[in-house]
Amino acid sequence: MTATLRPARPRAEHVAGFARLVHAEWTKFRSVPGWVAGMVAAVAVTVLVSLLAASGSGSDANEASELVTGPDGDLVSDAFHFVHGPMTGDGSVTVQVTDQDASHDGAMAGLMIKDGTTPGSAYAAVMVTPAHGVRLRADYDTDIAGGDGGAPRWLRLDRSGAEVTAYESADGAEWTEIGTVRVRGLLETAEVGAFVASPPEMRVERQAGSTSVGETATIGHATFEELAVDAGDAADPERWTGDDIGQAMEGGVTRAGGTLTVTGSGDIGPDPPDDDPVQIGLFGAVVGLMVVVAVAVLCATSEYRRSLIRTTFAVTPRRGQVLAAKAVVIGSVTFVAGLVAAVAAFLLTRPLLRDAGFAPPAFPEPSLLDGPVLRAVVGTAAMLAIIAVFALAAGIVTRHSAGAITGVVMLVVLPILVASALPPGTAEWIMRLTPAGALAIQRTKEPTAGLVEPWAMVGPWAGFGVLCLYATVAVVLAARSLRGRDA
Amino acid sequence: MSRILRAEWTKLRTVPSTAWLVAAVVALTVALGTAAVASLDTEYCPTPTTCAEDTARISLTGVWLGQAAVAVLAVLAVTNEYASALIRSTLAATPSRLLVLTGKVAVVTATVLAAAVPGVAGSVLAARVILPSNGFTAADGYAPLSLADGPTLRAAAGTVLYLGLVAVIGVGIATIVRGTAAALTAALTVLYAVPLLVRFVSDPAWQEQLQRWSPSSAGLAIQATTGLDRLPIQPWAGLGVLAGYAAVTLVCAAALFRARDAG
Repeated sequence: MTATLRPARPRAEHVAGFARLVHAEWTKFRSVPGWVAGMVAAVAVTVLVSLLAASGSGSDANEASELVTGPDGDLVSDAFHFVHGPMTGDGSVTVQVTDQDASHDGAMAGLMIKDGTTPGSAYAAVMVTPAHGVRLRADYDTDIAGGDGGAPRWLRLDRSGAEVTAYESADGAEWTEIGTVRVRGLLETAEVGAFVASPPEMRVERQAGSTSVGETATIGHATFEELAVDAGDAADPERWTGDDIGQAMEGGVTRAGGTLTVTGSGDIGPDPPDDDPVQIGLFGAVVGLMVVVAVAVLCATSEYRRSLIRTTFAVTPRRGQVLAAKAVVIGSVTFVAGLVAAVAAFLLTRPLLRDAGFAPPAFPEPSLLDGPVLRAVVGTAAMLAIIAVFALAAGIVTRHSAGAITGVVMLVVLPILVASALPPGTAEWIMRLTPAGALAIQRTKEPTAGLVEPWAMVGPWAGFGVLCLYATVAVVLAARSLRGRDA
Repeated sequence: MSRILRAEWTKLRTVPSTAWLVAAVVALTVALGTAAVASLDTEYCPTPTTCAEDTARISLTGVWLGQAAVAVLAVLAVTNEYASALIRSTLAATPSRLLVLTGKVAVVTATVLAAAVPGVAGSVLAARVILPSNGFTAADGYAPLSLADGPTLRAAAGTVLYLGLVAVIGVGIATIVRGTAAALTAALTVLYAVPLLVRFVSDPAWQEQLQRWSPSSAGLAIQATTGLDRLPIQPWAGLGVLAGYAAVTLVCAAALFRARDAG
């Protein structure tokens, strides 16, 4: 026996070889009319079903009796008890929060400077919370973390023009700056004072097989001492009055010496509806993916049925590369088709959804260039592409069209139907463990348990990651089975 | 006719996938049903009684997985014969195409019904054992599931019939389409994509109409045992809608089967 050494091929030749392989697989794909027709059908089905879903959807969020909109025009929640007085021009206000009830993890007690007392007006506030530390918040969208821990604590707000700087202190002597925010359009004379809020507790309830989310109001209490204003033109804190802002439950204030006890309820922050019109407009992908699966599985299995695979392997003995080339072709073709479908579905469903109530202020007009919208649209195409690669690998492992198609479709689609009939805890786990969670990439909003769609409970990348994991395992198994078995 | 039935039965049972698929119908139905029941809890209900879970229906959740195996079995029974060109011999032996189709539908449906009975019975039995330990006790108004109970028996027997109708639709679609992948995708779309759309359309009027007229949503109304007055379609009427779809599919299949050459 003589050992023979194969000369190592130069890298450039490797690359050229793989490019030829991809080209060969592309030729195979485009020369089968059924597959090309299948991809066109997947695009058509995705767009049509999206249009159908959009026509059958509606929202009455804009018809609520009292809509509160923030400085940007977005829906916000703005409810609390405010012990306040006017302050003109620059100045600062200081207080010691001596005690706060843990009525809610995110309950708030602190100082606020606000553009009048109309709900939804601009503001900056520094506060202690029972579980989220000290926070500086402004205009419903800015949230800066201060130190950990809650009451007792000294707080200070310092206004200079449109800029407000917040400080905190443990003893009232040594102060730490938390940050500076710019409050949009703050008038020369603004309301300053102490406030207490306590957000409602979310409650998931299940009855007769359907899940609903309700809210229970919570009531917060806090005590303040040493309330002081340092400004050229401001009312004396002794004469400040307490007002319920927004739709909060009845709060109040009692004075005993220099101590203020304030009771308040409500939340201050963004309050968009859970429904996501962008996701509704991409719903057709759930059906389109079934066609994609069929085409991708056929790409793998029909070569076995027609024994073309023997020729393929005779030409390219490196079977791993053949698999890679196939995956590149089916993945890219599906990605392009999916992108066309997703962009078309997004644009075509816009007018329908707007007429159905998905309009500002509850639903700001989405733009394809917004980060989350772009993620949803491109993510839909990427999800379809990964599902195609998953199906291709499943086809190679099973070599059985019917089994592979059914298996992949069941893994992606069935969990949705099963999860939506089960309690939320179970449904969330199903979404975390099966590729069905990948549909979360189509959502542009925060995860929530308040919707029928079970994938709304997981974050976009968590769900997409699970699908990628499944696809990777399938591709590894396919590579092993290609090497280990006869064609 | 008995000769045709025997021929169809021989063809069906000698394909290795048939035995696997029959076993899959039973195992998958019981497995998913058991998992659904085991995951059911009263955590999100103020009290177990007000939960008003339709325990019989949830115990039969497995039909969602079992019907996939039924669809594969029914589709392969037809498309395998086209793929291997055996259909030419079949038609040479029995020139009456209507008889061939009737025989095939009868044999496939009977096989599926025979597999559905243990699958459904096993699901109900598993739920009967598991439910009390999950907080669904007789004291809270959940009597142990029993086939002696009228609505539960209707739900169970109806589920068996539902799977039988799925088999008829599967054979019909496969006879129309003839290719495995296309026929299977069409069948899976009917069985899964339509219910998905039904579930996630938010307009109540649309949802009610879709539930009333979509094949599997209407057909599975047969599984409801509580809150019947709130159903968009009554149990037997719903199964009737599915039977209507099966009949239409079969008529189209018969017409095409007679009109076309055996490919």
